[in-house]
Amino acid sequence: MNKHLLIKSASLLLLLALPLQAAEGWTRFAPKPGLKSKVRIEGTSTIHDWQVESPLVGGYLEVGPGFPLQAGAEAKPGKVEAKAEVFIPVGSLKSLKKDGTPYSTAMDDIMYDKLLKATHPRIQYRLSELTLKEAPKKAGDPYTFEAVGDLVVAGVTNKITMPAQVAVLPDKKLKITGTVNVKMTDFKIEPPAPKIALGLIKTGDDVKLLFDWEIVGS
Amino acid sequence: MNESNGSSEFSRRAFLRDSSFAALATMLGGVRLSARAAEAEQQTANPPARKVKVGLIGLGNWGRELLDQLGRLPQADVAAICDNYGAMVRRSASKAPGAAQTEDYKTILDNKDIKAVIVATPTHLHKEIVLAALQAGKHVYCEAPLATTIEDARAIAQAARAAGKVVFQPGLQLRCDPQRRFLLPFIRSGALGKWAMIRAQWNKKTSWRFTSPNPDREKAINWRLDRATSLGLLGEIGLHQIDQVSWFLNTLPLSVSAFGSVAFWKDGREVADTVQAIFQFPDQVQLTYSATLANSFESDCETYYGSDAAVMIRGSSAWMFKEVDAPLLGWEVYARKDAFYKETGISLRADASKLKAQGDQGRQEAEVVDPPVYFALQTFLRNAQEVGGAVEDFVSLYGDGDPKALAEHLAKEVHKLPAPDYLDGYRATVLAIKANEAVNSGKPVALLPELFELA
Repeated sequence: MNKHLLIKSASLLLLLALPLQAAEGWTRFAPKPGLKSKVRIEGTSTIHDWQVESPLVGGYLEVGPGFPLQAGAEAKPGKVEAKAEVFIPVGSLKSLKKDGTPYSTAMDDIMYDKLLKATHPRIQYRLSELTLKEAPKKAGDPYTFEAVGDLVVAGVTNKITMPAQVAVLPDKKLKITGTVNVKMTDFKIEPPAPKIALGLIKTGDDVKLLFDWEIVGS
Repeated sequence: MNESNGSSEFSRRAFLRDSSFAALATMLGGVRLSARAAEAEQQTANPPARKVKVGLIGLGNWGRELLDQLGRLPQADVAAICDNYGAMVRRSASKAPGAAQTEDYKTILDNKDIKAVIVATPTHLHKEIVLAALQAGKHVYCEAPLATTIEDARAIAQAARAAGKVVFQPGLQLRCDPQRRFLLPFIRSGALGKWAMIRAQWNKKTSWRFTSPNPDREKAINWRLDRATSLGLLGEIGLHQIDQVSWFLNTLPLSVSAFGSVAFWKDGREVADTVQAIFQFPDQVQLTYSATLANSFESDCETYYGSDAAVMIRGSSAWMFKEVDAPLLGWEVYARKDAFYKETGISLRADASKLKAQGDQGRQEAEVVDPPVYFALQTFLRNAQEVGGAVEDFVSLYGDGDPKALAEHLAKEVHKLPAPDYLDGYRATVLAIKANEAVNSGKPVALLPELFELA
C-alpha cells in the first residue's frame, strides 16, 4: 500500500469512527445484545385486531451534560441537549396472534410490501428536540420527556411529537418507553385489504406504535 | 425441524375433535378439510415473492429436475448453474436463461450475491462441496443421501450444526410434501389402531445405465452402478420412503436384513437391480421394503397397517381402508371414496372432500399436483430468506462479534417452515448406508442407537 493510500484510508477510518464517539461532556447510549427492546405496532381490521412486533431497535442516543444520568438525579423541566437516530429493520417485524405466537408469513409479506421493504428496509426516527416535562416525584420513577422528531416510514417523513418515559437503571442503562398514534395514509400507505379465507378483510388506517428501548452508556 | 418428541403432540382425541369440526364446517359452508386449502387461500392474497439468488451444482437427471422446479418457484432466482462436465452445463442453459454457467463450483461460492446453493452431484462428491459452501456462508440444500460413508455424513452434519447463520436442509423431500404433512398427525394419532406392519415399494423398469462415447465420462455418469460410489437401490432411492416410515412412526429401526440380486440387467453390474429389506422397529413392528429396476407394476407406494385400519400412500394421494370392527371416526362418512378391486378406500387427500369432488371427479383426477421436491425447495428458499434476513438485521444493530447472542436471537425470532434438518439428514443417511451394507453382505445389520447420534 503506498503512503497516500495509507493516509487516505486512515482518514476515512477516522471519519467513520467519529460518529461513534460522543462529544465532550456528552454520553452516548446504544443497544447491545441481551438488553430487552421491543417495538410493537397495533392496528384494527374488519375481522380482528392485529399486532406486529420486533425485538430489534437500533441506533443511538447522545445526551448533553444536563441529562440526568443517575436515578433520582435532579433535573429542571425544559429543553435538554440530545441527539438520537433510531431504526427498526422492517424485515424483523413479525405478525403475531393475540397469544404472542406467529400469525402468518403471508401476512408478513403483505406488510413488507406495504412498507416498501425492498427500497426502504428500515423504519427510521431522527430526534430534533427533547424537553423534560416532569422529573420523578419519587426515586425509581421515570423522567417524563416530550420528544419531537422525524419518523420515516416507507420513505415518507412526518414530524411527530410524543411523550417518552426515561427510566435510569443501574450500570449506565436507560429504558425509554413511548407510544404514538399514527395513520398509515400519513405515510402514503394504503391500508391493506387482502383477500383471505371467506372474504375481504380491511384494515383500519389508525395504528398505534409502542416501544421499549433499553440502551447502555459507553 | 426435528419432530422427534411428538407422539404426545398429536393426540388421538385432539385429531378426532378437529377433524369432526372440519367435517361439520364442510357440510355447512364448503370449507375444505385441509391445511393445504388454507395455505392456498392465503396465497390468493398474492404477496409479492421475495427472491433468493441460488446456485445449482450438479446437472445430471435429478439436477435438471431440480432446475425445472426452481424455474416454477417465484422465490427462486437461479443465478448460476454448474457441472464439472461442460456439456451438461450447456444442455441446461436454456432452462436458466441469464444464469452464469460454470464448471467450477468455487466460482459460485465466491459470488457474494448468491446466498444459497443446491448440491445435486453424485452422492460421493457431496462432502467437499457442502463443507466449502457452508464455510463460504451459503445456505445449503444437499441431496439425500448426504454421503456414501458414515464419516462423510457425520462431517457434513457437524459442519451444518456448527454453521448457525445459515439453513442446511437435506433433500428428504417427502418430509416437506403437504400431503404427507397432512397425514403425519393422523398416522401418529393412533387412529389406525395398534401397529401391525408397514410395506413400501418402488418399482420402475429402467436400466440406471447411461452411455457416453468417452470411457471416463461413462464411468463417471454410471456412479450408481459402481459399488465404490453407490448406495444401491435401498440407499439412493429407498431411503426417502424408509425415512418417511421412521418419521411417521417417530422412532428409528433396530436392525435391517436385506437381500439383493441382479435379476434382469445382467450387463456386468454388481449393484443389485432388485432388493428386499426388512427393518425391525421397536414394539415388534416391521417395515418390508422392496424395489426393482425390472418391473414398473404399482410404481411407488407405502402402506401402513394397523389393527383398525390401513393407510395407503401413492404419490400425492392416500386412502384409508377400515376394518369392520374399527371405531367410527365420523368424518369418513362424508369423505370421498374410491374403489380398489374388492376394497373401498376413504380418500385422505389433503385438498379433497366429498363436496368438492361431487360431479367433478373427472377434473379432480386430472389436477396437476406439484411434486414433493417443489415444496422442499420452496421451504428451503423461504427458510433461507427468513434466516438470512434475521442475521442481516441483527448484525446491522450489534455487529457480528457475539455468535451466542445471534444464535439466541435466531432461535427465538425466526419461525422456519417445518423442514428436515442436519440430524434428520444424517440419520437417513446412516439408514441408507447400513441397509446397503446388509444387501452387499447378505447379513443382518444391527442399528445401535449410538449410530444415529452425532458426536
